[in-house]
Order: sequence, then structure tokens, then C-alpha cells
Amino acid sequence: MSDQLELLVEMTRHFADTNDIEATMGRALERIAELMEAEGGALFILQGAGENERLECHASFGPVDIKGLSVPADKGIVGRSLMNNAPEIVRDAQNDPNFDTSMDAQSGFTTRSILCAPLSVKDERIGAIEVVNKTGGNGLFADDDIKLLEALAASAALAISNARMAGELAEKEVMRRELELAAEIQRGLLPPPGDGAFPISGVNRPARVVSGDFFDFFTLYDGRIAFTLADVSGKGMNAALLMAKTASLFRCLGKEDMRPGRLLQRINAEVCETSLRGMFVTMVAGIYDPSSGRLVLANAGHEPPLLHSTDDQFRALDATAPPVGIPPELTGGGPVPEEVLHLDGGALYIFTDGATEGYVAPGQELGADGFKGMVQSGVAAGLTAQARIDAIADSLSGSGEVLRDDITVLVIDDAKPLQNRLKRGDNGLSTEVERGSAMPRRDTPIEGSLCALTVPARASSLKLVRRAVSETSTACGFSQEQCQDLVLAVDEACQNVVRHAYGETSEGDMGIDIRSEGGSFVVLIRDYAPSVDVAKIKPRALDDVRPGGLGVHFIREVMDVVEHLPPPDGQGNLLRLKKAI
Amino acid sequence: MEIGITDQGGLQVVAISGEVDLSTSPKVRDALLGCISSGKGIIVDLSAVVYIDSSGVASLVEAFQTAKSRGLGFALAQVSETPLRVLKLARLDQVFVIHDTVEAATVAMA
Repeated sequence: MSDQLELLVEMTRHFADTNDIEATMGRALERIAELMEAEGGALFILQGAGENERLECHASFGPVDIKGLSVPADKGIVGRSLMNNAPEIVRDAQNDPNFDTSMDAQSGFTTRSILCAPLSVKDERIGAIEVVNKTGGNGLFADDDIKLLEALAASAALAISNARMAGELAEKEVMRRELELAAEIQRGLLPPPGDGAFPISGVNRPARVVSGDFFDFFTLYDGRIAFTLADVSGKGMNAALLMAKTASLFRCLGKEDMRPGRLLQRINAEVCETSLRGMFVTMVAGIYDPSSGRLVLANAGHEPPLLHSTDDQFRALDATAPPVGIPPELTGGGPVPEEVLHLDGGALYIFTDGATEGYVAPGQELGADGFKGMVQSGVAAGLTAQARIDAIADSLSGSGEVLRDDITVLVIDDAKPLQNRLKRGDNGLSTEVERGSAMPRRDTPIEGSLCALTVPARASSLKLVRRAVSETSTACGFSQEQCQDLVLAVDEACQNVVRHAYGETSEGDMGIDIRSEGGSFVVLIRDYAPSVDVAKIKPRALDDVRPGGLGVHFIREVMDVVEHLPPPDGQGNLLRLKKAI
Repeated sequence: MEIGITDQGGLQVVAISGEVDLSTSPKVRDALLGCISSGKGIIVDLSAVVYIDSSGVASLVEAFQTAKSRGLGFALAQVSETPLRVLKLARLDQVFVIHDTVEAATVAMA
């Protein structure tokens, strides 16, 4: 009996310490067989489920190795023992009609006596253990042996079950850590919060570890800010991965195509090309110009953003196209229609349905009205835009319950930019221009800019460009004739962008920066089209009277310096025109 | 930009006003070539043009060449200061026939 206890203790300790259950099972079987004075033994583990349930030998001891052998889970001595959750004994195999002697014929082993006990813990069936041929006495197992094997099997089963559970826990822990890593990478995809003066703020609270929502924003070369907020269908890892893909597409394509409607069209084309079926993304993309309060918005199937004006009115901006992920051939595939807004000191709230459908109290959704109410009370309390949307997210996650859905809110607040615009209107541009006309002087680059605008590279934009050049050149003190010349030269340069750089088939934006630099009037013209071969641009001979081709001649005639510069980030074309004031 | 076409004793007077730029010059071109196809001489009144760019000038040049190849008269009249400056920049003030008034052009082309 003391041997028996010793074995129980030893087995339990081995299973608790082990990293290799198989090896431990093998050792346990050996010790059990020794203690039972058995010639051989085998340990079977239940595998599969339903009709495919089989008992597979995971450890074998004795003259014949049957490790790997598997038998139907409901047949034979082992199967019966497990099914009935009771020991089985074949006292005298050679004289037992139920014993199948074919195995012995194959292995050359003579089975005289078999004892089998189930491995089970409560309702969990694990397998069975069997020992064959008692070496002592008459070579047959007796009733005492049944009790002993049952006791040993019970503790072996418990040890195996514990070891399995520990393994599953460890596996879960690994999964949890991987999820954490995924979430960390996902958080890294969100933009870092801007300082208090930055007009865009966002908040994202995932319902699970990872999120299917995201927002992003970045400042373009001309000071405008591109932003997006999107909600991927679903909340799990697949949603998180599609979110990462869509977020990357926005970052990449958003820097070259600054028209939100076309950007969403391109993202849709990319997502549809490779996406999983049945997953889609509702997405808002836009461009906001803090220097004017103008905002261009495109909405692909997303919850209507709310425009909160300074007179405390709300306006919902409905989606103008189906979500991203709907194949272009079903929708016609054009750009998502754009809406132009003037924030005029107001704020635009973009949010996922997790924000409006979240519970503020058990069973009680915040709702669109609740959302508006929280915006109003936030404004009334003088909260910053970030604090306002944090308060909304807090109200939904404060109850301590698991969130129903990811919560994401983005706000574009024009209040501070409006103040800046008003200030500049008093003593900004006008003083600069006066100073420029009275006594040109070298200024820091930002002060040197008299007027910067970005317009679609289209013929219809040229009028606006001419107006800007006319106003600024007049303010710089050029004669009327010189002003007309400058207008013509810049117009011609912009025409070349419209006609030659982008060509007939593609379109994009062009940026015009009119500057006063060291006593010169400088115009920088920037586009994002493929680089133009500068060597091919040449003025035509004037005696060659043909239509067209005069533009470059005009530019060179009017300006002192015409140079093609490498663009700041290597993309597109940058032309610098200069004329002394 | 607006275009007005009037018939004056066997000649067509095309009066252009406003800004002739990349977006409006195709209309100028179409109007001028349309008039030429009617087989009459053309006087282009530029008194109300406040801006013209290379694409506008190109339309004038193309119409001039087309008229010439068909043996039709083509003259500019009352060219205001801004378009004249552009024509001078292109050295085209010496290529086009330019009259001070529409009447003078009518007399000269009769």
C-alpha cells in the first residue's frame, strides 16, 4: 500500500511539473505496470468527436510496442471500459469468447489476462489504461488488482486533466499576449494627439482588445488637413486586419490625391480587389483648411456626421455613396460625391454607431439626441474639443460593463482657426503687403507668403489664380502693365499643369504660393502629376506662326527667372517663377 | 466671356467681351471658325476683352490662317490695352491686321 501511495504522489508531481505530457504518461504507465506486476501495458487517449471518436495509444510498455495504434472508441475491452466508465477484466483471455485473438496472432504475443480501467475526471472522459499478463502467481489478474488499477487510473486521469488545463491556459495566455501586441500596433496606427491648438481631435475605445474602427488625420504641405474616420463591419481580428489595410491605404493614397471623393473611390477599388467577401467599411474622408474654415467631405455609407454651428444648430450630413467594399461594377464606380462646408467657427463631429448605440445606463442608448446634448453641455462648460469627445466616450464606458461596440469620435473644431483668421484679417496679410510695397525686405519663409491656394488643376480654376496674382502683384507695387504680365505668366504656367502635367485623363490639385522674397515677387507652382521632362519644354520660335505653344514664351518673356525645382518630397513638379519688384 | 456676331454688309463682326482663357477660348475658336465657314470676311472686335491668354491668342491665329487659306479677309479691331499687350509679347501685333475701329476695318476690307 505504501508503494501505491508513493506512486500516486510521484505521478501527481510529475504531471504538475511536466512540459511534455506524452513522456510523463509513458513513465507513469511504466510505474503502474511495475506496481501491478504486469508484463505489459498501454495508455489510450480519446481523440476526435462524435462518430470519429477513437482511442489512440499514447504510451505502451512491454514486449510489443503498440504506440500510435487506434481503435474505435466504443469497441473492445478498452472501449467498453471507457463507455461504461467502469473497469473491465478478462481473467483468462485464451478461454474467453469475447477476446479477439487476431492481434496476438499478428504480434506473436500471448495474452493471458487483461485488466482495464477508465481514465476519467467527473464527466470528462480522457481515455483508458490497460495492463496485460500478471507476472506473479498464476499469471491472471484478481479482484484486488481491479481496485488498485482503478485507484491508479483515477489519479493518472486527474493529473492528465490538470496538465491539459494548464496547457490550455498557457495557450490562451499566448493568444492574449498576441492580441495585446496586435492592439498595440493598432493603437500605433492612430495619429498622436495634437497639441491643444490643433483643430482635430479623436478618441477610440475598442469593445474588445482590438478594434474595427479607426480615425486618422495628417497635415498636407499647404497647411490643409486630411482626415478620415471609418468603421469596419465586425469587431474581431478580421475587422482589425481590414482596418489596418484601409488605414494604410488612406495614408498612402491620401498624400497624392487630395480630393476626398476620388480618394474613397480609389480605396474602394483597392479593397474590393483583395478584400474578404461580405466585409465592408463605412468611411468618411475629408479635407479641412484651417486658413479658411472650408471643409470638403465625402461619405461612403457612414453614419451622418453632425455639423454643430456657432448658433447651436445641428445639421446631419447624410452618406452620399454606399460603403467601401461594394464592388465598383455594382455602383457605377464613380468618385463619392463631395459636400463643401464652411465651418465658420463651428465643429464637425464624425462618429461610429458605437457612440450613439452605446449604453449610458443598462439598456439605455445614448442616441443621436443624447450625443447632441453632450456636445452642447461640453461647449457650455467650456471644454476643449478633446475633452468634449472624451466625456462622450467616458459616459458610454463608465458603467463598467463590456462595451457593445467600438466607440470612435472625431471632431474638427474651427473655433480657434476662426480666431486666428480674424486676427490675421486685422493685422496679418494687409500689413505684410503694405510693408512689401513700401520697402521689400527678406522675411522668414512663413511671413514671405502673401497668398497660398490649392485648386483643382482645371481650366475653371485659372480665374481664381489670376485674381490672386493680380491682387498680390498690385499690392507689391508693380505697374498695371507689369501686373497684367505677371497674371499672364502665372496663368500660362498653371495651364501647362492642367494641360500637360496631368494631361487629359488624370486630374489632381495644384498649389500656388505667391511670395515676397528678398525684393522679388516669387510664385511657386506645385503639382502632383508624374514628373515632366524639363528638357522638352522650350519656347517656340516666334516667326513660326502656328496656334498654341506660346505659353512658355510668355512666361520667359515676363519673368526674370524660371526654374524647375525638385519637389520637397520627390513627387510631382515644382516651378519657381521670380520677378524683381 | 460673351460672343456677339453681327452681319455688316458682307462682313461678319465678332465682338468678344470678358476673359478669354483656357476654359473659354474653345468657344471663341468655334465661333470664329463657324463664321469663316459661312464664306464671309471677319472683323474681331476686341474692345471689351479684359484678358486673353495664349490659348485665346492661338484661337485668333488659327482663325486668321483658316480665313487666309480661303481668301477671306480677317482683321482685329479696337484691340483694348490688355490683349494688345499680350499680342505684343507674342510679337503678333505685326502679324495681325489691326484697325482702330470696326468702321475703319469695314472700310479697309470693303
